Amino acid sequence: MNCQRVQDTFLDYQAGTLAAAESAAVREHLKTCLICQREWAGLQETLLQLDRLPPEEPSARLRTNFYAMLDTHLRQAREPSPFALMRNRLDRFFENLVPTRPALQFAFSAVLLVAGVIVGARYLQPAAPIAPPATDLATQSRLDEMQKKFDSMSQLVAYSLAQQQPANTRLQQIAATLARGDADAKTLAGLVSTLAFDPNTNVRLSALEALYAHADRPLVRQGVLASLPRESSPLVQLAMIDFLTSVRDRDAAPAFEALTRDAAIDAAVRDAAQRALVQL
Amino acid sequence: MVKSAEETVAVDSVETSDHDLMLAVRAGEIARLGDLFERYHRPLYGFFVRLTGQRTASEDLVQLVFYRILKYRHTYRDEGKFSAWIYHLARKVAADHFRKNAHAPAILAEPDELHEVPDHAPHAAEQAAKADDLALMQRALGALPLEQRELLTLHRFHNLHHEELARLFDCSVGAVKVRMHRALGALREHYFKLRQERVA
Repeated sequence: MNCQRVQDTFLDYQAGTLAAAESAAVREHLKTCLICQREWAGLQETLLQLDRLPPEEPSARLRTNFYAMLDTHLRQAREPSPFALMRNRLDRFFENLVPTRPALQFAFSAVLLVAGVIVGARYLQPAAPIAPPATDLATQSRLDEMQKKFDSMSQLVAYSLAQQQPANTRLQQIAATLARGDADAKTLAGLVSTLAFDPNTNVRLSALEALYAHADRPLVRQGVLASLPRESSPLVQLAMIDFLTSVRDRDAAPAFEALTRDAAIDAAVRDAAQRALVQL
Repeated sequence: MVKSAEETVAVDSVETSDHDLMLAVRAGEIARLGDLFERYHRPLYGFFVRLTGQRTASEDLVQLVFYRILKYRHTYRDEGKFSAWIYHLARKVAADHFRKNAHAPAILAEPDELHEVPDHAPHAAEQAAKADDLALMQRALGALPLEQRELLTLHRFHNLHHEELARLFDCSVGAVKVRMHRALGALREHYFKLRQERVA
């Protein structure tokens, strides 16, 4: 047995729990090893001093406090809780209030029901409809403005959707309008929109041709006049000048003058506008 | 309802095991906790005094252990050993105490409060030397980390075996022996160092 091993077994050796053979080996080692003798003596003295520490006695206060706590718990265990007491009282109150015989209970319920209906019919008024909140003038005008924008946007969207069709289909639709002869305001507005917005020159010319039949209507004349400044094709510009000259629309004079002054406009168009001004 | 010493002896003479008493408490016979108090309040008090070095605080801690027994009595297991359970609660109470006070080696804070040495020594000089040695041992014990203090106290003063300590400290018996060996080594080192300082 080496020293470390011997010192590791000191606690069991001291407690007497070491096996007999091991215990004898430790005893033999201790006879000859001075280092382990010193370790053993140090441990013995430490344990001796530790075990000599006197036991501590608590004061009477500890016992008093403990039994006071125990008494409190015992009292709480014996006394019913305040909730249980309250519930008992409520139960007793309702037992005294409500009749116990079934026939009387039925009669009591019926009386309660009738009384409830009568009281409800007499005192409860039907709920008044909720008035819409009053809006001031500024809000109303803004709402109108937004409505207008929404309408024009809807029109543009509808026209954009129509644009999805091929040009020849659009031409066929205009030809069908021409063939019908009569046209309501909606159809005319559609033709004017085509004249103003359609990207195809032939379609715009066809629309203008279709509008000739309704040149007497102010809506058509105003539409053609409004489309003239934005028109880029000289062919359509010439056709529009002819249209407006033919119906003798004096409101077109400022637009014709503007055309004659615009150097970017085709010379033939400017000449036609000059002539038209003379004719008006 | 405070019991006299005679009553305590009478209670102890009744051969009801700690376990049976605790089962009765768990079943609602709260008054039986008094019997357990009579059996355990002194060892518990000694345990707390060795750990904290404070008598008044130790009495409060004993009270707290019994309060927790009442509060958590439903958690007591049939197969458990009562002494292991009560020391388990005591260790938790001590840990809470040190966490709140945040100074574990409190023993050195009030060394004068402890250990009036019994008047057995024939000569005053010898008596004074013994008192000095015990005071040094108390200081050496107080200088140890909390776990080593717990281990030595439970083993030497409360006679808990290695197996019980292993369950309490949640480790193997071998690990308990190793820790005990280290704790004793540390205690010896502190004790002899303090003795040398005294001589110097």
